[in-house]
Amino acid sequence: MESKQIDHLFRHHSGKMVSVLTRIFGLAHLEIIEDAVQDTFLKATLTWRNKQPKNPEAWLTQAAKNRVLDIFRKLKASQKLLPELKNGIDTITVNNLFLDNEIEDAQLRMIFTACHPKLEAKDRIAFALKTISGFSSKEISSALLTKEETVKKRLSRARKAILKANLKFAIPQGKELVTRLENVLEILYLIFNEGFHSNKKEILVRKELCGEAMRLCKFLLKNKHTRPPESYALFALMCFHAARLDSKTTNNEVFDLKHQNRSLWYFPLIQLGNAMMTKAVTEEVFSCYHYEAAIAAEHLKAKTFEETNWNKILYWYEHLYKLQPMPSHILTMAVISLQQKNYIKANTYFKQINADDFEQRSYLFYSAKADYYLQTKKVKEAINYINLALENVNNSLEKDFLEKKKVQVLKMLN
Amino acid sequence: MKEFMMIFIGADYADLGLSPEELQSRMGKWFAWGNKMEQAGHLRGGNALNPNMRRIVGKDRTVTDFTSAEVKEIVGGYYLVVAKNFDEVEVIAQDFPDYDLGGTVEIREVMVFDR
Repeated sequence: MESKQIDHLFRHHSGKMVSVLTRIFGLAHLEIIEDAVQDTFLKATLTWRNKQPKNPEAWLTQAAKNRVLDIFRKLKASQKLLPELKNGIDTITVNNLFLDNEIEDAQLRMIFTACHPKLEAKDRIAFALKTISGFSSKEISSALLTKEETVKKRLSRARKAILKANLKFAIPQGKELVTRLENVLEILYLIFNEGFHSNKKEILVRKELCGEAMRLCKFLLKNKHTRPPESYALFALMCFHAARLDSKTTNNEVFDLKHQNRSLWYFPLIQLGNAMMTKAVTEEVFSCYHYEAAIAAEHLKAKTFEETNWNKILYWYEHLYKLQPMPSHILTMAVISLQQKNYIKANTYFKQINADDFEQRSYLFYSAKADYYLQTKKVKEAINYINLALENVNNSLEKDFLEKKKVQVLKMLN
Repeated sequence: MKEFMMIFIGADYADLGLSPEELQSRMGKWFAWGNKMEQAGHLRGGNALNPNMRRIVGKDRTVTDFTSAEVKEIVGGYYLVVAKNFDEVEVIAQDFPDYDLGGTVEIREVMVFDR
């Protein structure tokens, strides 16, 4: 009764089987398919209790295959249309669809479906995590810090949108592929960031989200049509960030770049990131992901925080801002100028933005302004801004960080 | 040494909405528990039961089919173990994986008939 299981075997297998069965029966039957796949896991959980099969994955695949006929009968009984299977089930075709490369193809189709612009942006993330990553709505809600009810609504809205738009379960081609791939990269980037910048204290949940985003991105890199330079650049960026994940939180405390223990950075991921970056720069055209990856790499190059090459980072940010004129990039450039003790330059950046630009994250703006006043020896103003930051922060870890800073600054007054 | 049956009562997994990840982790705990009992020489056998049930009740032999969703608690399975006494089985039963799902372990001694 040997018991060791591959990590996330069930979760990942769920994504595989839901994708393959969707390819056979069509997106219209997604709910029946998801239930059927879930049943195979329930069955495995009970029947493997006493005796585990030699090849668990093959067992699960066979179980899913067996469900094909069940689903077919169910659909026939409810007289639902089965356009792709008009002439009955061709066993050879069905078997072929369960081959490894066809499974990957089906998963890629599911990724493109989940990231389709006909779905609302927020629904895409939830739907991707559910169908490709095999998360339950409860797991999605905990990962995204949203209510389970909200997640359920998003999932059902996504399903309805798919039906309404009559989406094809396919990998887009030609010109359409270019824009659709952009949508996919954006969603993967968002999923990764949900993990990387999560307010959640439990490192495990954050790692899972980052890991999923990377796993999905790898699917893109396996297919020659879905790996233009920006796919490689995004993957490189994820590697560089993920290398720092362990040093970001220790004992439930958040450490910023300055205070992270750099010896905890995970070198193999940095190497992988470098290799991906090499593949990403084969053409002269650079995406946002290229610049973000370049910035992340620059941070990793510095042995200590003090050795950071801020000029280079600022240079990359200027490029990034040209492609993506977002106030958050200006704020970052202001912070970098502070780092370089170039207060005049910092001030010109600060003048271009205000707190409202940052909505719920206005505390970031206030906290940066506090640093500015602190460094220019205007302690009272600094305290005002720390207070403003504290009023607007809703993340307990960031709050602790600010509280500590306030105590230190108050000491300077005495 | 005596024989005891541990009977597992609770909601069916299918009705709890467990995710694939949770199911896998539960399965791991069942494995671990089974291994532990086997290595300690306690385990004699056991089975998991399918949730569908048919009940025949009373002198009219009234027959009803149920699904787990219609009954709050069902017997989900059992293990047969060898142990000194109830106390020892109670210790064994500490590792039952589903207490957090509101599960119950009922310990019953198997009756021995004198010849």
